[in-house]
Amino acid sequence: MTGGVPLQQGMLPDTIANLLGLNAYGVAGEIVAALLGAFLIANFLLINTAFAGPWAKRKITAAFTDRIAVNRIGPFGLFVIVADAVRLLSKELIVPDGADRPAWDLGPLLIPFSALLGFAVIPMGSGLQLADPETGLAFAFAASSIASLGLIMMGYASNNKYSLLGGLRAVASNIAYEIPLIVTGVSVVLFTGTLQMSAIVEAQQVAFLSVAGVTIPQWFVFVNPFAFVLFVVANVAEVGRNPFDIPEAPTEIVAGYQTEYSSVYFVLIYLGEFIHIFLGGAIAATLFLGGPAGPGPAALGIVWFTAKIWAFFLFTQWLRSAVPRLRVDQFIEIGWKGMLVLAFANLVLTAVIVGVLA
Amino acid sequence: MSLEEPEPDVPAPVEEQSPDELAELLGDHVIGREEHLNAPGYVIRPDAVQDVLSTLKTEAGYDHLSCVTAQEYEDRYESIYHLKKFDDPTQEVSVVVPADRENPVSESAEPVFRTADWHEREAYDLVGIDYDDHPDLRRILLPETWQGHPLAADYDQDRPQVVPLRENANPLQEDHRGEDDTDTMFLNIGPHHPATHGVLHLKTTLDGEQVADVESDIGYLHRCEEQICQNGTYRHQIMPYPDRWDYISAGLLNEWAYARAAEDMADIEVPEYAQVIRTMGAELCRIAAHMLAVGTFALDVYGDFTAIFMYAIRDREKVQNILEDLTGQRLMFNYFRLGGVVWDLPEPREEFFEKTRDFLEDLPEALEEYHDLISGNEILQMRTIDTGVLPPEVAKNYGATGPVARGSGVDYDLRRDDPYGYYDELDWDVVTEDGCDNYSRLLVRLREVEESAKIIEQCIDLLEDWPEEDRTIQANVPRTLKPDDDTEIYRAVEGAKGELGIYMRSDGTDKPARFKIRSPCFSNLQTLPEMAEGEYVPDLVAALGSLDIVLGEVDR
Repeated sequence: MTGGVPLQQGMLPDTIANLLGLNAYGVAGEIVAALLGAFLIANFLLINTAFAGPWAKRKITAAFTDRIAVNRIGPFGLFVIVADAVRLLSKELIVPDGADRPAWDLGPLLIPFSALLGFAVIPMGSGLQLADPETGLAFAFAASSIASLGLIMMGYASNNKYSLLGGLRAVASNIAYEIPLIVTGVSVVLFTGTLQMSAIVEAQQVAFLSVAGVTIPQWFVFVNPFAFVLFVVANVAEVGRNPFDIPEAPTEIVAGYQTEYSSVYFVLIYLGEFIHIFLGGAIAATLFLGGPAGPGPAALGIVWFTAKIWAFFLFTQWLRSAVPRLRVDQFIEIGWKGMLVLAFANLVLTAVIVGVLA
Repeated sequence: MSLEEPEPDVPAPVEEQSPDELAELLGDHVIGREEHLNAPGYVIRPDAVQDVLSTLKTEAGYDHLSCVTAQEYEDRYESIYHLKKFDDPTQEVSVVVPADRENPVSESAEPVFRTADWHEREAYDLVGIDYDDHPDLRRILLPETWQGHPLAADYDQDRPQVVPLRENANPLQEDHRGEDDTDTMFLNIGPHHPATHGVLHLKTTLDGEQVADVESDIGYLHRCEEQICQNGTYRHQIMPYPDRWDYISAGLLNEWAYARAAEDMADIEVPEYAQVIRTMGAELCRIAAHMLAVGTFALDVYGDFTAIFMYAIRDREKVQNILEDLTGQRLMFNYFRLGGVVWDLPEPREEFFEKTRDFLEDLPEALEEYHDLISGNEILQMRTIDTGVLPPEVAKNYGATGPVARGSGVDYDLRRDDPYGYYDELDWDVVTEDGCDNYSRLLVRLREVEESAKIIEQCIDLLEDWPEEDRTIQANVPRTLKPDDDTEIYRAVEGAKGELGIYMRSDGTDKPARFKIRSPCFSNLQTLPEMAEGEYVPDLVAALGSLDIVLGEVDR
């Protein structure tokens, strides 16, 4: 985006530059426009997270478990978001003796930022996309993987054995499940022939089937549902939710890598986890669910996109309420012996189909 | 793992030895005879404990060391080993081991019965008897730095326990780096940990993520319950305390343990009507306790406040409401009295019956839901089948009882084998599972809820038709109870967690001279290393959850 490369047409920074007349200031204008765009996207996600974390998660879990949950502060208990924010931020930040700083402080920062970085290339519809490099999909995966580094840093720097165990489990799970995740993602790339996110979305716009007058678009969830299932499973492991919440595993290792974190750092970690879930949902939506596509005018794209990432969030919460956690060895076994094999089988099969048909 | 009913086989009658036959069997070791209300007592030489116990175990079939009671007399210390047979717990024998007043040493029973390990440590801790040949004679309930033995006669309760900070080693502070065996990691699980169900401290040595060694450190919730009971009068002042041992809504079951022992001691006949009410109340408590056990076990395996936990709590709440109607309390019932119960069913009776029947009617559906959500869940089965294995012989050796023993195929239930209350008049079955694993223990609890419901339903039918003029809720019991001097009794009932026994000795006053609680959780928790060593940490947690301990009862 920067460094003299012209702004890509139709991207959010470009729109902002046009609106505010920043084009006249050359590179400086481009940078300002890009920063404004990033600010907008980040805030959009933070608002989603604010709803998801203190409020929706409680409401959803309560609905699953026959309870009511927050309903006293504000309409539907919504003001609990404000109350919780104040509460969490005003807590004491306890730094354990022997914490390895600055790694201890950097870990909680890496997690939300890696997830936010991933959103830079996600086409969110209604013209909301920061950049659209040709390597978009690889960038999204790479950015979200940086979080693993944060988890290891937190686990190792906390000087706590539970944190260490959690950190090690996080590494193990990320290695085991990221490969099937990416390999499954690649099977979609075989169809589209490009890693560019907008092109992947584009490829899903054409009609796939027409049943009784209803046209089904060529979303890859319809084209290759098997890959979609694989992707979602690996994605759940990647964001560390039940039945794969091994790195946190509250009843076993207290809270894993985040055992020693309180106050602002605690908020940052949770923020990061929720944005990560949304990023997982966003990548799944882009690859398999037509991105921002949906009925109605194209301007509604962001609405459909938001609905899709929230659907994924809802799914993770459903799992959390209903599915037991695997044991760590079973979890790793499923990753290496099951998911990896299936992911490669899916890739080879897709390659054969694409090769024969195309 | 079979879900079918085991073949109905008629057990061969367990051979019973007369007291004289036993005395002959033990030969020279016996130096005297005593008569306890529940069993013949043999006084033996303090250096022959292992000989006597192994003879009784192998040749006479007394394979269940139910409890070890230690106490101090004016002229001697005494350890009593209460032995039973798993096949027929009505056959009991007490082995009384006197120890010298000045130098109280007696031989340890640990090599014969593993369960004696903790029981003797407790006896050493509270009374001060030294057990020769004990592998690990340390304090168990009190901190290592404690001065004196609180239940000993010369113990000065008013003396403050001043312990300098340097003496009071913090077990959590110890750094185990740089030890010889660098392949393992020491991990403190607890005293504050999401999965320890209270304040339990597990000193765990990990090899990778596998448990190489685990040692329970208990006593954080020790509240001197035995001493409190020794300071209360039989008639009224003791009954409120049993509610506080296993406080997970198993109150009536605990009260029954005391009621049974005291009533047998003072020869009180409980009216039948009261027995039916007691039976019904106790089974309601059992359902409530098992609901919580199943819910928290799921919590341990699932890891979060999941649907199944809340469902279990929801159904337990219904039981609690019924119990509240019956007793006036939700947790600390204090409903039993010696000779009966404190008051009759609430008026209008029809309403109470209807409410209870409604609950029983909804129960099968709720249990179906539980089976869908937990026992039928493949992931849960993956997690729990063949983990935390406790073979039946090991379970017996550790004196495990209740759902833990029955999950290992040990067919032992005092409600049937040593009948009390109204149980032997009712139609119900003892549930056992042969899997010996975490899953079996879960299934046993779920199926026991069904059996309890059967019992309650029959009790309700009986109570409904009970003629109004025969509704005697209490026998005629003197205002002050003073059992004969030197009467000793050990009586147990089937609590929610297993065999809950009370030993009492009277000294002719209105308060017991010794009051000993045999807590099922105490014995059951002792099996944890057998179940967990070699397993992964998650299975250690699951095994602990499947034991369903309540620290209030472990530590007393």
